[in-house]
Amino acid sequence: MKRVLLLCLSALLLAPVSNAQVRVVKSADRKLTLNLSGLRVAGDPAAQIFFQTLEKNLRLSGWFEPLRGSGELLLSGSVNRKGGDVRTTCQVIRQADRATLFSKGYSIDADRARTLAQRVADEIVEAVTGRKGIASTKIAMVGTRSGAKELWLCDADGGSVSQLTTDKSIVVGPNWGPAGDRLVYTSFMRGFPDVYEVNLRSRRRKSLASYGGLNTGAALSPDGKTMTLILSKDGNPELYVQSLSRGKPQRITTTLRATEASPSWSPDGQNLVYVSDQSGTPQLYIINRNGGRPKRLSSRGSENVAPDWGPNGLIACASKEGGRYHIAIINPTSGETRYLPTDGADYEDPSWAPDGRHLVAARSVRYQSSLYLLDTVSDAPVALVHGDGNWLSPTWSPR
Amino acid sequence: MKKQALLMLVLLVAATLTGCQSPGRNPAGVYGTAGEYGATGSIPLAGRFTGGTEYPGLFAPVLFAYDSSQVSATERPKAEAVSKHLKQNPSMAVIVEGHCDERGSREYNLALGERRALAIRSYLTGLGIEANRIQTKSLGEEAPSTPEHDESAWSLNRRGEFVLYY
Repeated sequence: MKRVLLLCLSALLLAPVSNAQVRVVKSADRKLTLNLSGLRVAGDPAAQIFFQTLEKNLRLSGWFEPLRGSGELLLSGSVNRKGGDVRTTCQVIRQADRATLFSKGYSIDADRARTLAQRVADEIVEAVTGRKGIASTKIAMVGTRSGAKELWLCDADGGSVSQLTTDKSIVVGPNWGPAGDRLVYTSFMRGFPDVYEVNLRSRRRKSLASYGGLNTGAALSPDGKTMTLILSKDGNPELYVQSLSRGKPQRITTTLRATEASPSWSPDGQNLVYVSDQSGTPQLYIINRNGGRPKRLSSRGSENVAPDWGPNGLIACASKEGGRYHIAIINPTSGETRYLPTDGADYEDPSWAPDGRHLVAARSVRYQSSLYLLDTVSDAPVALVHGDGNWLSPTWSPR
Repeated sequence: MKKQALLMLVLLVAATLTGCQSPGRNPAGVYGTAGEYGATGSIPLAGRFTGGTEYPGLFAPVLFAYDSSQVSATERPKAEAVSKHLKQNPSMAVIVEGHCDERGSREYNLALGERRALAIRSYLTGLGIEANRIQTKSLGEEAPSTPEHDESAWSLNRRGEFVLYY
């Protein structure tokens, strides 16, 4: 995804970035106020879209509080339309000592103004905080807007919602490949639950598993060479690992009285976290990718489902307590469990953003489900995709 | 007499199998070994049926308790009716569809639905139906038969449906 973006952008470096090593923010707890009033934005629609997208993504990054008229940081420069292009120069100046933290110019085809704004937001976040942003990443999800459960895509800010499949069937459990160029998912397009892969560049699909019984829960390893999935071909739903280039699925669990679901790889690709109901209720377990004895992870909540092992090493899941599903974050080393603050709705199916700070989850109220951005530091949940159908099973792309 | 004893044994094995499949019956979280797995007679699934037609809705669905994949004694006559039909029509096969209510994780419900379909399959094989005539298919919570969001709808949606195939 990133490579495509770079090819499409023609970035003109108009001024050198001075003092690029300055790091203003040491901790995510406190937001920096950012005065947007220094940026002169033309009335042209593409320039306006650029500015709105930039402001939204700077806010959603969690690092800034965008303001008009004052702030510790000043955003200055201009956004103009020139022929078919949007041209912009952006500077970020620290008011206290007038240091220029960021200064860059760009030009892009006007209908890609959002793409450019996302890139600028990411570059500002990195120049000021030293951390990489997430504005240029994507979210895949299941949507019912067309009447069936199809795969859909949107940007990290919930914009540019687009339908990916038109199979008039049911999609469950999409997951990104580690390079962000493909998705693996379960579809009933041929009547039974089978695992498919779709290449997002060519839009070509291939079947990855279609054994008798259940084929689901596919997730690709961090090196992209191995797939984990749930199969029932041997007579009971179990966890398997399979090389994508050769060989047969290798069975990892043997729980004839129970079922497994929803495996997710550890960042180093050595372990898997998954759901098993061997204790009588669905709970989380960790097992080595080569098998062995699983270790129970979840301790709080009557049910713990849909785990996602994040790039930060923490495991997010949906945890049921008091009759509601909450998003829980579990440290697999210490076992420490934290529930994100809740508002009475059900939050399910969390997926980590690549910044290791944000999550996307399905929030449902009265059987209407929409996608929300959750911040593990301080911000309240923000609606990303909602209305005109249900939005389910979100999964955040890598960078 | 000998034949009757054999039938009793088969039924007993089937009852044991289905009884064990409730996750609630295994609170200690004991993992089976490969040997134990084989010993209980878990039968691998054959490939998908091809070349025939599906005939849904001819038999009453088997209903399940919340989070359970156990075929209860009161629901067994429904599976027995299917078994009888398959014995009378040796060219026919059946797809057992496992379904869940809408509560909980979509992915976990897909697995639970498969367990329900497999529990019915193992009851049918216990009644003497050849394993290669039974295909399982889980639809999880994706295809409720009753659209309401209450206990009565949920109890009807936790089900195993029989789709004749020939």
